[in-house]
Amino acid sequence: MSNPITPEILRQAKRLGFSDIQLAATLGTTAARVRALRREWGIEPVFKTVDTCAAEFEAFTPYYYSTCETENESRPSDRKKVIILGGGPNRIGQGIEFDYCCVHGVFAVKEEGREAIMVNCNPETVSTDYDIADKLYFEPLTFEDVMRIVELEQPEGVIVSFGGQTPLKLAKDLAASGVPILGTPYEGIDLAEDRERFSALLTELGIRYPAAGNARTADEAARIAGGIGYPVLLRPSYVLGGRGMQIVYSEKTLRDFVGQALEISGEHPVLIDKFLEDAMEFDVDAVCDGTEVMIGGVLQHVEEAGIHSGDSTCVMPPTLQKESLIEELKETTRRLALALGTVGLINVQYALQNDIIYVLEANPRASRTVPFISKATGVPLAKIATKVMLGRTLRELGVSEPRISGYVAVKKAVFPFIKLVGSRQFLGPEMKSTGEVMGIADTYGEAMAKSQLGSGAKLPTAGTVFLSVSQRDKRQKTLGMAQSLIDAGFTIIATRGTSTYLYENGVETRSVLKVSEGRPDIVDEIKNGHVQLIINTPAGEVSRDDETPIGIEALAHNIPYITNISAGIALLEGIKQAQHDSGGVRSIQEYVGGRKETV
Amino acid sequence: MPRRNDIESILILGSGPIIIGQACEFDYSGTQAVRVLTQEGYRIVLINSNPATIMTDPEFADATYIEPITVETVEKIIEREKPDALLPTMGGQTALNTAVGLAERGILAAHGVEMIGASLPSIRMAEDRELFLAAMQRIGLDMPQGRFVRTLEEAKAAIREIGFPAIIRPSFTLGGTGGGIAYNHEEFLWKVASGLGLSPISQVLIEESILGWKEYELEVMRDRKDNVVIVCSIENFDPIGVHTGDSVTVAPAQTLTDKEYQNLRDASIRIMREIGVETGGSNVQFAVHPETGRTTVIEMNPRVSRSSALASKATGFPIAKIAAKLAVGYTLDEIANDITRVTPACFEPTIDYVVTKIPRWDFAKFPGADDTLGVQMKSVGEVMAIGRTFKESLQKALRSLEIGRHGLGADGKDAVDVTALDDAERAAFAQELRTKIATPRADRLFDLRLAMQAGIADDELHRITGIDPWFLAQVRDIVDFEAVLRGHTMPGA
Repeated sequence: MSNPITPEILRQAKRLGFSDIQLAATLGTTAARVRALRREWGIEPVFKTVDTCAAEFEAFTPYYYSTCETENESRPSDRKKVIILGGGPNRIGQGIEFDYCCVHGVFAVKEEGREAIMVNCNPETVSTDYDIADKLYFEPLTFEDVMRIVELEQPEGVIVSFGGQTPLKLAKDLAASGVPILGTPYEGIDLAEDRERFSALLTELGIRYPAAGNARTADEAARIAGGIGYPVLLRPSYVLGGRGMQIVYSEKTLRDFVGQALEISGEHPVLIDKFLEDAMEFDVDAVCDGTEVMIGGVLQHVEEAGIHSGDSTCVMPPTLQKESLIEELKETTRRLALALGTVGLINVQYALQNDIIYVLEANPRASRTVPFISKATGVPLAKIATKVMLGRTLRELGVSEPRISGYVAVKKAVFPFIKLVGSRQFLGPEMKSTGEVMGIADTYGEAMAKSQLGSGAKLPTAGTVFLSVSQRDKRQKTLGMAQSLIDAGFTIIATRGTSTYLYENGVETRSVLKVSEGRPDIVDEIKNGHVQLIINTPAGEVSRDDETPIGIEALAHNIPYITNISAGIALLEGIKQAQHDSGGVRSIQEYVGGRKETV
Repeated sequence: MPRRNDIESILILGSGPIIIGQACEFDYSGTQAVRVLTQEGYRIVLINSNPATIMTDPEFADATYIEPITVETVEKIIEREKPDALLPTMGGQTALNTAVGLAERGILAAHGVEMIGASLPSIRMAEDRELFLAAMQRIGLDMPQGRFVRTLEEAKAAIREIGFPAIIRPSFTLGGTGGGIAYNHEEFLWKVASGLGLSPISQVLIEESILGWKEYELEVMRDRKDNVVIVCSIENFDPIGVHTGDSVTVAPAQTLTDKEYQNLRDASIRIMREIGVETGGSNVQFAVHPETGRTTVIEMNPRVSRSSALASKATGFPIAKIAAKLAVGYTLDEIANDITRVTPACFEPTIDYVVTKIPRWDFAKFPGADDTLGVQMKSVGEVMAIGRTFKESLQKALRSLEIGRHGLGADGKDAVDVTALDDAERAAFAQELRTKIATPRADRLFDLRLAMQAGIADDELHRITGIDPWFLAQVRDIVDFEAVLRGHTMPGA
C-alpha cells in the first residue's frame, strides 16, 4: 500500500521536524534525493526572529530560528559575510575552549569589516548571546540546517575549524557542495586525520613518529602489536577526546579490547601505536598564514605519556632545560604546518623519549589549549588565526612569537568522578575531564599550588604524604623529595617497595598496603582522613589498575594527587612557600601587559 | 532611581572550572555583566580560575585575576584593588558561597565593600532550608514536609508525621551519596542509619516524597521599586525525581491551565518579596501534583543560573545583563529592551514558538558509572532548539545532540525495528520496555517511541513514567506520522 509521497505529506513531515535523513530512512532513499525533491516542490524552511514580543513590535536584534512556514524574516545584507560554525553541545573532549575560539573568530571577523554570522545550538555559550555576532542562527549543526543558512546568506566563506569536531565533520559535505571553507583547505584537515597518509607525510619530511599499524581484526592486531612490541596504544580513528583508546600491555588484553574498539569506530580500522612509556609530552600551538608560522606557545605536560592531553597538567614555559629540543619542537611544528597547507591554527602533540622527539598527532584547527596559551601569553591566537584565514599575513598583522618571562602558568584539569559514581577507570588515554583551571605565579611551585587550589584541592602545609613510586622512580630525585617532605614537617606513608627503598637509603616511613594487598589499605587510610597529599607514579598494567580507587578517593577528599616526581618536587616548593606566607596575587593584565585591544 | 554614582569599582566573582552542574552558562552571564558594567563606566575587577572563559580575556575587565576562587584569595584581591562593591550573583554557587564566606568573616565590612545584586540575609534565607521553609510558611506557601534528624529515634518520630514514601538525604555528603527513597519501615531505618554514618555532621533530612509530580521553573526579576517581571516559565518533560539539569525542559510551560500558571506567577512574586531579592533575577522551582493540583515550592536560587541562561536564549531577554544593571541602581522601567528598542525591560517577553532543551550525557567514557538519572545531575552539556511547535523543536533538539540520531528515531539507527516484529516478539519487547522506561535514563525518549510502536498505550506510559499525557500525545503524533511516511515512497520510485 505504498503511495508516492505528495507535497502536502512532505510539508507536514517538515512541520513535525523530520530531518532529510529521517525522511530518507522512512521513504527508502537518500537525504540528497529528499533534499532535491523538497527544492523541486519549494518546501524550504524559513527563518523567524526571536523578538521577545511575538512580533508586536519591530525587532532590531537579528536572532533567528528556522521553521517550515512561508514568510522569511531573515533578510541578508549586502555586506561581505563570514559564517562561523559553533561546537554544539558541550561534552567531554569538546567544551568551552571551542566556544572561546568561536567568539574570538566572531570578534576578528567584525574587526576585519565583515558581517559575522554565528550558528550554534548550545544555550550555555557566549557565542549564542545575540549581542556577540552580527547575526545569530540558533540551529542544529547538521548539513541540512547549515546549508539552508549558507544558501540564504551567500557568505564569502565558512569557518569550520573553531568549533571542534562538530563543524569539522560537516566540512567534507559543505566543500563538496561548493561552499567555500575558510582557512586550511579540507584536504589538509583530512590529511592530518588520516593516519596512513599522515604517517607517509611524516616519513617524507623525515620526522619521527611512534611505530604504528592498523588492523581490522583481532588477529591482525595481535600480529602488528607483536611486531611493534608492547605496550601499545589502541585507538579507533576519527574521534575527538580519545574515545575508545587504551594502553595495552599484553596480547590477551589486546584481543579483549580490539573487539570493543571495532564496535565504536565502525568501518574505520583500529590504530595501533607504540606506547612510549616514560616519555614526556608537549603540545605546540601555532598560527600559519601559508608561508610563515608563528609559534603561539609550547606546553609541557607534567604527567608522563599515557594520560590524555586534555587531562594532563601542563606548564608554560616548559620546564625542560634543553633549549635545543624546544627549538626542535618549534621547527618541526613550522615544517608540519606548511606541509599540511595550514591557514590558521594548528596544534601538534609530541612525545620526547631519550631526547628523541616523536610526533603523536597534528591538527590544523583550533585546539583546546588555545585559550590557555592566549591567557598565559596575552596573545589572542584565535583572533590572529581568523584574520589570517581572511587573507591577512602574519607580517601584515605585525605579530610575533610571544615570550613568557618572569612567571609560570600551570593548567590543571578537573574531573567528574564524584558525580559519576562507580566508574571503573581513572585517567588514561581517554579524556575524562570536564574543565580546567589555571594557576599563574612567579614560580613553578606557586603556580602548581594555585592550580591545585583552583581545582578544589586543599593545599596541605602539614600532615601525612602517601608515596608510591615505580621502579624507575626509585632514584636520587625521589630520595631528595622524601627528605624534603620530612624536613618540611610531613610524615610519609609508603607502599612496601617504596618504603623499603627509602629505608635502605636512610629515610624513615611507615608502610601501608596497596589496594590489591589486603586491608586496611591505602584507600582506608584516605577515607579515614589520614592522608593529606598523594604522590603516586604508576607504571605498568597492575599499578595503573590500582590507581583508580586511589585517584577517585583523592578527588572525593580534595587531596592533591600527583603522578610524577618532578611535579611532586614543584608542588612541595609551593607548599613550603605557603608554610611561610600565603603568596601574592597579580592580575593577568599585569602579567601579560595591559589591555590588548587589537592584534 | 538611575545609575548609582556612589560606587566606582565592582568586583565580579566567576564560577571557576567547568564541572557537572556548573558549566559555561556562567561565562555567558559573567561576560554580559562585565561588558554592560564596563559600558556603564564602572571599573571592573574580575576573578575566575578558568582560563578557557571569554570573561577572563584581558580586554574585558580592568583587572582580571585568574586565581583560585577562595575566600583567602578574594580577600587579597580586595586588599589590592579596594573595590566599592561585590557582585556575587553571576558565578553560580561557587561565587555565592565565596561571597557569603567573605561577608561572614567580616572581610567585606573591614574593607567597606558593599554586596550588590543580592544581600547576605536574602542569600541565607534562600539557601538555608529551615529559614526558607519558615519564609514560605509566613507567606502561606506549601513546601514538601521535611525534618532534619540526628538519631534513629528522631527519624522514627519524623516518619510518623511525613509518611511513606520518604526521601532520605544525608547532609554534606559528596554528590549526595547515601541518599535514597524508602517505601517501608525496614528500608527506612536501614537508609537513615547508613545516611547518618555517611554524613560528616551525622545529620539526615527526612523529606516527604514528591516524586512523579510535575516540575516547573519560573525566571523572575525584581527591582528596588518592587517591579517584578516573569521572564519565562519552563516545564520539565521528566517529572520530579530527575534533576532539572538532566531533564528535557520546555519553554514556555505547556500543560498548565491559565489559573495554575497565574498561581505560580503570584507565588513567585511573593517569594521574591519575602526573600528580599530586589536588584536581580532568581529562579524559582515548583512541583505540582498531577491530580490534585497541590503546588509546593521546591527551592529558589537568588542568582543567575543554568535555567536563566536558557530562559535568556529562549526569549531574547538578557537576564544577566539586566540583573547587572538592576544591581547598580537601575529599575526595570529604565532599561530598554535592546531587541525592540522601544519597550522597556519591564515588558514581559511573549513568545510565539516553543523551545526544547535536551541534556547531553557522556556515560560511555566512564565504564561502570551508574547511568540512571536522579537527584544528582550527570549531564555534561545541553542543546536547545526552537520550533513553531513542541514537536518541531523536539526533533530539532534531538538532531542537534550529535549522538548519532537524526531526530526522534525513524533514522535507520534503531537497534530493534519494531515494525518488523511479529505479535509475540512485539509483546515481549513491550514488556522489556515497560521495565526499562520505569527508570529514567539518557535514552528514554527513544524508548518511549519504541514503546508506542510496540503497542503500549499513552495512559500506561503515563502511569509508568509520570510524563504528562500532553507530552506523550505529542510524541505519539510524531510516531504516528512516521508510520504514515513509511506508507509512502519517493515519486516515480
